[in-house]
Amino acid sequence: MSPEPQDTQPVDTRRVDAREKVTGAALYATDLHPDQLAHATLATATIGRGRIAELDVSAAAAVPGVLLVLSHLDHLDLQSPGFVMGGGYGVQSLQPLLDDRIAYRGQAIALVVAETLTAATEAANLVRARYETEPFAATLDSPGVERLSQPATIPLPFLADLDVGDAESAYATAALHVDATYDQPAQHQNPMELIGATVSWRGDTLVVHEGTQNAGAIRHGLAQQLGIDAANVEVISPYTGGGFGQKNSLQIHIGPLALAARRLGRPVKLVVSRAQLFHHTSFRPASRHRIRLGADEHGRMVAAIHEVEHQTSRHDLFPLMYTEITSRLYGIRDFRGRQTFARMDTQSPGFMRAPFEHPAAFAFESAVDELAYAAHRDPLEFRLANDTTVDPVSGEPFSSRHLAQCLRRGAKRFGWSARQQRPASMRAEDGSLVGWGVAVGAYPASIVPSAAHLVAGADGRIRVEVDGHEMGQGIRSTIAILVAENLGIGVHDVDIVVGDTRVATQHLTAGSWGTASTLGAVHAALRALREQLGMDTRGPVDVASAVRATGRDQVEARAETLGPGQTEQDAEHARKGLPTLSGPEFPGYSTFSWIAHFVEVRVEPTTCRIRVPRVVSVADCGRVASPVTAASQVRGGIVWGIGASLREAGAVDPRYGGFLNNSLEEYPVPVNADIGTLDVDFIGEPDLRFHPVGVKGLGEVSMVGVAAAVANAVFHATGVRHRRLPIRIEDVLAGTTA
Amino acid sequence: MAATASTAAGSAHELDLACTVNGEPVRLRVDTRESLLDVLRERLGVTGPKKGCDHGQCGACTVHLDGRRVVSCLTPAVQVTGADVTTVEGVAGPDGELHPLQQAFIDHDALQCGYCTPGQIMSGLACLAEGHAGDDDEVREYMSGNLCRCGAYAGIVAAVRAVAEQGR
Ligand code: FES
Ligand code: FES
Repeated sequence: MSPEPQDTQPVDTRRVDAREKVTGAALYATDLHPDQLAHATLATATIGRGRIAELDVSAAAAVPGVLLVLSHLDHLDLQSPGFVMGGGYGVQSLQPLLDDRIAYRGQAIALVVAETLTAATEAANLVRARYETEPFAATLDSPGVERLSQPATIPLPFLADLDVGDAESAYATAALHVDATYDQPAQHQNPMELIGATVSWRGDTLVVHEGTQNAGAIRHGLAQQLGIDAANVEVISPYTGGGFGQKNSLQIHIGPLALAARRLGRPVKLVVSRAQLFHHTSFRPASRHRIRLGADEHGRMVAAIHEVEHQTSRHDLFPLMYTEITSRLYGIRDFRGRQTFARMDTQSPGFMRAPFEHPAAFAFESAVDELAYAAHRDPLEFRLANDTTVDPVSGEPFSSRHLAQCLRRGAKRFGWSARQQRPASMRAEDGSLVGWGVAVGAYPASIVPSAAHLVAGADGRIRVEVDGHEMGQGIRSTIAILVAENLGIGVHDVDIVVGDTRVATQHLTAGSWGTASTLGAVHAALRALREQLGMDTRGPVDVASAVRATGRDQVEARAETLGPGQTEQDAEHARKGLPTLSGPEFPGYSTFSWIAHFVEVRVEPTTCRIRVPRVVSVADCGRVASPVTAASQVRGGIVWGIGASLREAGAVDPRYGGFLNNSLEEYPVPVNADIGTLDVDFIGEPDLRFHPVGVKGLGEVSMVGVAAAVANAVFHATGVRHRRLPIRIEDVLAGTTA
Repeated sequence: MAATASTAAGSAHELDLACTVNGEPVRLRVDTRESLLDVLRERLGVTGPKKGCDHGQCGACTVHLDGRRVVSCLTPAVQVTGADVTTVEGVAGPDGELHPLQQAFIDHDALQCGYCTPGQIMSGLACLAEGHAGDDDEVREYMSGNLCRCGAYAGIVAAVRAVAEQGR
């Protein structure tokens, strides 16, 4: 496929919805305050597992202004939405408030609705429960964890074990070995926008405003929960205040809110508190990775074995897909991957930015660094020497892989050639230990069914209604730039409607497929629009006169697109609000985005405080569809990587279950002063084998490998290898004094 | 809120609040337990200030009280009687022309999802007014009460610094 020539007129690449955001005009779901609004709060369970023996809501109900207290005592007419990774729509299959069972600490036990937020908050604190407790397991090391092999439990091809060649034998006969175990804690997405919704009924139609990455799942999931027609559910989410995977399915509060709103005949709003969020919805599961790597005497990696287990809930199986990228990072002939569920008593874990790829790359790229040191090789040169152009799993080429170029360009920008190989050999002027680390990352590129509707007006404006959500990644900007460049108009002549089930199917926006999928549909619709307008397939268009020439007020065009190998069945699936799990299948090649990160750390010798003064990252994400927002995405990914490597862990007390540090104070995320200079660059080669516009995904790959680069830099600074995230002052202190 | 049980019968204590919000006089009877943030958002419909934690830990709710930055979630509403409250809605000029800092946020892409942005703008204005925008590190330090989970920190520093440089 040849690239379509673009109009060369430069367009304004600044974020198109920035003005609304800097003036406070952008309205998020819980900014709404319709007439007659009632306020809801939640009361939650204080045991790790068991049942509610007695629930007393009388004091809560007696608070002046309280309108309603809903609990399992009310026998709510609500079905399970099913688990989003189990053929359903929900963040988990377990719908609280339906019976007396408590499956995990922090599970909702009552929904209180009152005239004011103050009354609702007071009342929720007065809900009293007496429990019968049962033993529970809450960490990978707790007794009572049930371990299940993934392929034996879910025999689906994309969850199968990986066996390429004979990794055990190749490992056994290798000249050099690394055998190490790496620990990734549970982590919490904590988007700045709290999870919450404003819900109301307009006659028989349920109207839901909630910041989401998946309005389609909310719509169809609620229809299933309430036993109503999906045509009677509208979900509206023009702005999402950060998602990072946490907002990718139907949350457990919306069904009960819909019931409350119906009973009261009033709109109801719930904003889940930050403290409750740590148990209310999904999180990144804790995982443990044993990596065995073997290399020959020339430093060529010949065998890799990646065995991983991660936590899931008792009620759902959140799948493991860690080995998908670790098997592709290098040209390792013999690879073996094993993935195991560890079921325990928590809410269901789920997706958090680079859900599998970040922990997998931390483990694998740390091990590669260990092997490079075992081989007495520079870690950069070692990686370049093990590069591949062929997917070692399928034997097919990659549609594009410019990873070596990412490494070379990044090394140059970083000044890697001045690095001294020996650990603890570099010092800053102030006496700090200086460490330089490198690591790479990958993320599978994918496309899901998508739809776009374009309306060209006689005023020259183009309205774009699409399947897709804006979580800050800049989907509006990428669409506006594509349309503006194609038609030769300004980006502000394009009006974009996203995240709205009234205008388009709203497939889950995640997995970095948003840009590729949505742009594919918009691109196809643009072609159709040009046809409708009787214009050439290329070149600038005077939209206003072209529309007037048709004698109509407006001209419309629609397109529905699929990924390669996907069928009408997949499109139908997507229209029902279900995520596309099959395909895309690319004929004759496999497709990933790639990135290389170079990190400098400084370790203050007395306190062992770790700082990250600078990071250089070079990404291969195909064509850069929106340069400004793309660079911001990568910087955001680096910030996430720094948080993951040095700060973030959900702390579990095995005696009580649940997450102890459920606040932004005790679950520290990076602050401004934690972040130094971030130097981001792109290869920018369009991948036209994969995509008509040449784009691959970016949002997730940007984070993949950062944590390993940080850990490798800490090793280089101190000579101590840290195999558990996050690496904290006390870890470095213990390592250097040991 | 351990003592709330005692209020169950007689309901809350209420007091009169008189202040200005973005220059407009406001008179309101408020529950003494209501935060300025909740009064702005839920009673006055001023939703620029955002709730990210309700505990003074994130800065999304930052507003100015007589020109000083405060986290409105930790500010009891009754306490602002007599004060001038400014939120992000009150920053642009009367005809909607953006404040230079708002424009700098756009030019330096100092935002992604935009949820922390109203708080960042209010803190950024204060950071400039306090004279704490002398160099990048100073801005990083004095803007660290405002979390941005999207990680737009580099753009935020660049935007505040750009305005500081313009003002010199
Ligand atoms: S909401 Fe006030 S500081 Fe977070
Ligand atoms: S822009 Fe999303 S939290 Fe700052």
